[in-house]
Amino acid sequence: MSDYRLVIIGGGLSGLAAGIRYARFGRKVLILEKHVKPGGLNSYYSRQGILFETGLHAMTNYARPDDRHAPLNRLFRQLKLSRKRFLTHEQIVSEILFPNGVNLLFSNDFNLLKDEISAKFPRVIDRFLRLVQIVEDYDPFTPCEWISARKRIKDILGPAPAGGNSVEDELFVNMLLWPVMMYGNSREHDMDFSQFVIMFRSIFLEGLFRPEGTIKDFLDMLLDQYLSFEGEIRFKSQVESIYSRGNSVHGVRLTSGKEITCDDIISTVGYPGTLGLLDPAVTEDAAQYEGGISFMELIYLVSVEAGNHLKNDRSIIFYNLDDQFRFCRPDDPINIHSGVICFPDNFLEIRDRIKFQGKDVFQIRFTHPADYDRWRNVSSEEYKEMKIFWGEKSRQETAKIIGNYLENVVYQDSFTPVTIEKFTAKSKGAVYGSPIKIKDGRTSFKNLFIAGTDQGFLGIVGSMLSGISMVNQHVLEKI
Amino acid sequence: MTRDNIKDVILEIIQDIDEDAEVKEVKSDQPLRDQFDLDSMDFLDIVMELRKRYKLQIPEADYPELATMDSCVNYLEPRLQNA
Repeated sequence: MSDYRLVIIGGGLSGLAAGIRYARFGRKVLILEKHVKPGGLNSYYSRQGILFETGLHAMTNYARPDDRHAPLNRLFRQLKLSRKRFLTHEQIVSEILFPNGVNLLFSNDFNLLKDEISAKFPRVIDRFLRLVQIVEDYDPFTPCEWISARKRIKDILGPAPAGGNSVEDELFVNMLLWPVMMYGNSREHDMDFSQFVIMFRSIFLEGLFRPEGTIKDFLDMLLDQYLSFEGEIRFKSQVESIYSRGNSVHGVRLTSGKEITCDDIISTVGYPGTLGLLDPAVTEDAAQYEGGISFMELIYLVSVEAGNHLKNDRSIIFYNLDDQFRFCRPDDPINIHSGVICFPDNFLEIRDRIKFQGKDVFQIRFTHPADYDRWRNVSSEEYKEMKIFWGEKSRQETAKIIGNYLENVVYQDSFTPVTIEKFTAKSKGAVYGSPIKIKDGRTSFKNLFIAGTDQGFLGIVGSMLSGISMVNQHVLEKI
Repeated sequence: MTRDNIKDVILEIIQDIDEDAEVKEVKSDQPLRDQFDLDSMDFLDIVMELRKRYKLQIPEADYPELATMDSCVNYLEPRLQNA
């Protein structure tokens, strides 16, 4: 008799969702989390009495509570959580910004994006609507060959009409790809069309929002639900190895030396990370599954007076001011010319201001593509200097977009790919995981399954659906 | 369990899945999926809930037997007679 029917490695969003889904039907399940808190990439920490979120800008996949088939609402039903009691703040308006001031605005009303494209890229609007139709009808979850999203989109958009300008078409494709890639592409330069479909739907067709409160409230809700179904979770419990015999796995050993046996394992620590835990070691080459996309995140609290001179009427700005479109590891430690700017306070009906030392402040977050190796291979002194140097560079560059906020900063913090690797299971800080996705969640072991980022769903809603569907498909029938 | 009991159990499970479902208006010869707008994940919940409550294993090949309320009751009656 095993200690647990199911062991889930990782207490991030996919692990918690998988745990709730399984515990709901009354069987013994244990989540092992190496950190002291749940959440994985989407966790939180406190500084000077203020709670900061590690990863959350906004959640994707917005849906009204009455839209039963929307991923967000299916997710709540599957976990037996009340969607009606889950309060949300939708984005106000977001922006895709490219060189020479060319921009596209979008919101959770898809008509805004359509109107923007009609006005700014009138020649492509009909072909764009055809692309939307294809995205809506496409099944991105059935395993299939890798398809280049860039090529597929260009094929769908077709050649520029006579007299048309192909440079403009190229710009349009890049502007569509940029937010989709920044929020969920694990591959450099191009993207799998299935992943594009998933992300396009979740950002543009469904939309962006923030949950009421912070990610901590959201995680607490999940943890409470899991514990109410008598699921068990252990923090500070890092798995050192997964025991296998023949083509099955039968338990884990923690770094503390403790051994736990189980009938099934769902691993959310990524495919290469999972391979690396197997004992005896497997010969499968993990390197091809390593992702190269990581980011530096800079967080600022600025005094509310800054609102008078800053351009801060957007929820999120996805900007790429490079002359060339470069979604890849930068040549420098970070690429200051491209990134995401998020104003977490600029979502509908957010009334509570954060107070810092008694003063009203608001938050601005910046995300830049970053190169893990350049942050890893330095001394801790150099690392600190680099953080200061590149933080300053980032402020100079982003001030060109939103105005100078430096004198209004009352608190700042930043983290790099190395920080991400330390606190999450993301090898090399690759937040979106492997460029190769394991869509069916299967491994070469019959009772070891992959859920989360490397299974192919992305974002908070996506990773949770991943945990749920892997439980549904692989372990529920054994209950 | 009587046929009426079984019907009540099914409706209770559906109500649990969707608090807004108008279960009182169920048409017993029409597909449950269409009437309550259930997707395959919801449907799995009905199967799992029956398993949890009555230790009743319903093989996937038998899922079509659960299509309407009438067929559900017909299928479950002999299996839940001692429940």
